[in-house]
Amino acid sequence: MSLILDHVSYTYPGTAHGLHDVSIDVKRGELVAVIGPSGSGKSTLLKLVSGLSTGHSGRIALGGEDLSGKPVHQRELGMVFQSYALFPHLSVLDNVAYGLKLRKVATVERRRRAQELLETVGLGSYAASAVTQLSGGQQQRVALARALAIDPKALLLDEPLAALDAGIRGHLRDQIRQLQQRFGATTLLVTHDQEEALTMADRVAVLKDGRLLQLATPRDIYTRPATRAVAEFVGLSTLLPGRVSAPDRVDVGFAELKTATGARSIGQAVIALIRPEHMQPDPASDAVNRFVGTAGQQRYLGSVVRYDFLVPGAPHRFLAESPVPAVAAVGIAPEHIHLLDE
Amino acid sequence: MVRGVSLVYGIYLLLPIVLLLVGSVGQSWTNSLLPSGFTGQWYVDLWQDGSFRRAFVNSLVVAGATCVIDLLLAVPLAYSLYHGARRRGSLAARIVSVMPVAVPTITLGFGYMIVFNTDLMPWLGSMPLLIAAHVIHTLPYLTHTLLADLRHLQPEKLEQAAATLGASGWQQFAGVVLPNLRHSMVSGLVMVAAISVGEFNLSNLLVSFQNRTYPVVLLQAFYGATGFACAATVILLLLACASALISSRAFRHA
Repeated sequence: MSLILDHVSYTYPGTAHGLHDVSIDVKRGELVAVIGPSGSGKSTLLKLVSGLSTGHSGRIALGGEDLSGKPVHQRELGMVFQSYALFPHLSVLDNVAYGLKLRKVATVERRRRAQELLETVGLGSYAASAVTQLSGGQQQRVALARALAIDPKALLLDEPLAALDAGIRGHLRDQIRQLQQRFGATTLLVTHDQEEALTMADRVAVLKDGRLLQLATPRDIYTRPATRAVAEFVGLSTLLPGRVSAPDRVDVGFAELKTATGARSIGQAVIALIRPEHMQPDPASDAVNRFVGTAGQQRYLGSVVRYDFLVPGAPHRFLAESPVPAVAAVGIAPEHIHLLDE
Repeated sequence: MVRGVSLVYGIYLLLPIVLLLVGSVGQSWTNSLLPSGFTGQWYVDLWQDGSFRRAFVNSLVVAGATCVIDLLLAVPLAYSLYHGARRRGSLAARIVSVMPVAVPTITLGFGYMIVFNTDLMPWLGSMPLLIAAHVIHTLPYLTHTLLADLRHLQPEKLEQAAATLGASGWQQFAGVVLPNLRHSMVSGLVMVAAISVGEFNLSNLLVSFQNRTYPVVLLQAFYGATGFACAATVILLLLACASALISSRAFRHA
């Protein structure tokens, strides 16, 4: 089932916070990740879709059917929470079977299906355990199994990995993605972790201050961000404000960049975005977009070194990343400069 | 130094109880430091005394009824107060902070005596009124116990999860919240029972001769032989100990 948010707005009573005219469509079987800084409205969005918050304007439709007016327990959505929210008075198996019990599935049948789902998430042998005996990652997998057990029309994940250690997060990320693809579940994932969003999602929605800035594939979000805010939020960058000085030339004050300017007119204000991995260390002296300077603070990351590169006259440091830091100059290929229009 | 003080304090607390035990098996005890003679007669007399047996049963009936009614009232009350009081400053929050854990029982008793001794409501001395008074007196204890447990449990997260899985409001309450309150319900009820069994002030003012509870009859025992009174008090002590034991077992299972 597809999940469509159509011009959804919501304001918390007495404040100006909330969502402003957000439209997101999640295709059937697709995983859309919603990311944004705190206060961007992403949790609000999920609460509205699940029905835990009501009173929005605009349309939220699941499989073509409008969800407004439907109480939470009739929406047939599976939801996974940051705090797992497993029922402490039920065993692991009974937790997974809870939704089936509410739907009056026969005891033998529901226990069988619950066991099957537990096997799928790799916790088959924990069926009789108490939930408190499981680790955080295991509890979250049980929560996922519980949400999938009811065969939901869509899956909502509310920062599911935020409470887990970094090591487990990576593992569980892959597992959740595999399960989502296996079950073909239409999924909305809310997270503040951009790596999570980029690795797991088919498309990413970036929110800020309750507004949707961009909805695109992870690759497009990273290489062609629509606005400065998106560029700053996703990945690291060097941003150089300037003006188009000639066709395929941008004047950034202390230098002139050679890059495609597209249909922009002369004098138009732009911001040049360069990702750190595209700063070539010590290129040949006739390389295009070559800047002389010195390396500043270096941060060893194992596979690369992330370092500041100080160019005289530049408004701020360049941020660069390469296995060996530049000594005297950096160069940027024209196709690696992305222009933003505000 | 601290151990010394604790020891002295411990002795100070336990001494009256020890003396009671000693006195309950003493033949006669007048004007001396310790009783003289050893006998189990007092316990036999207690067992044979009809009014004491009757009072024992009355106490149990009142305590039992109080527990049931308290449960039916306190659970929904604690639940709605919990949800209402999550917004600070709301009326519910104010109710919770003001609700007395112990209204002076004499005040309650006198109030009842004045109101229920009229032609319109001539119920003074009746069992239902006595039970009602016990309920009012013990309700805050149970409510506060449940509220504390609710605050610890944070059921709203569980309720949200249950709701997304298809549980209606009632199903959330009965299937998710109640089972997790089991233990505090039991221990709260045992506390209610213990308070009700030992409650004197209210009962003394509100009972009629026929439905006197155990502590009321116990007072009269002290106008008789000391040994008899001691034995009667020991029985009350045993009742209290039993309640405490059951209550702590319930806690351990939690």
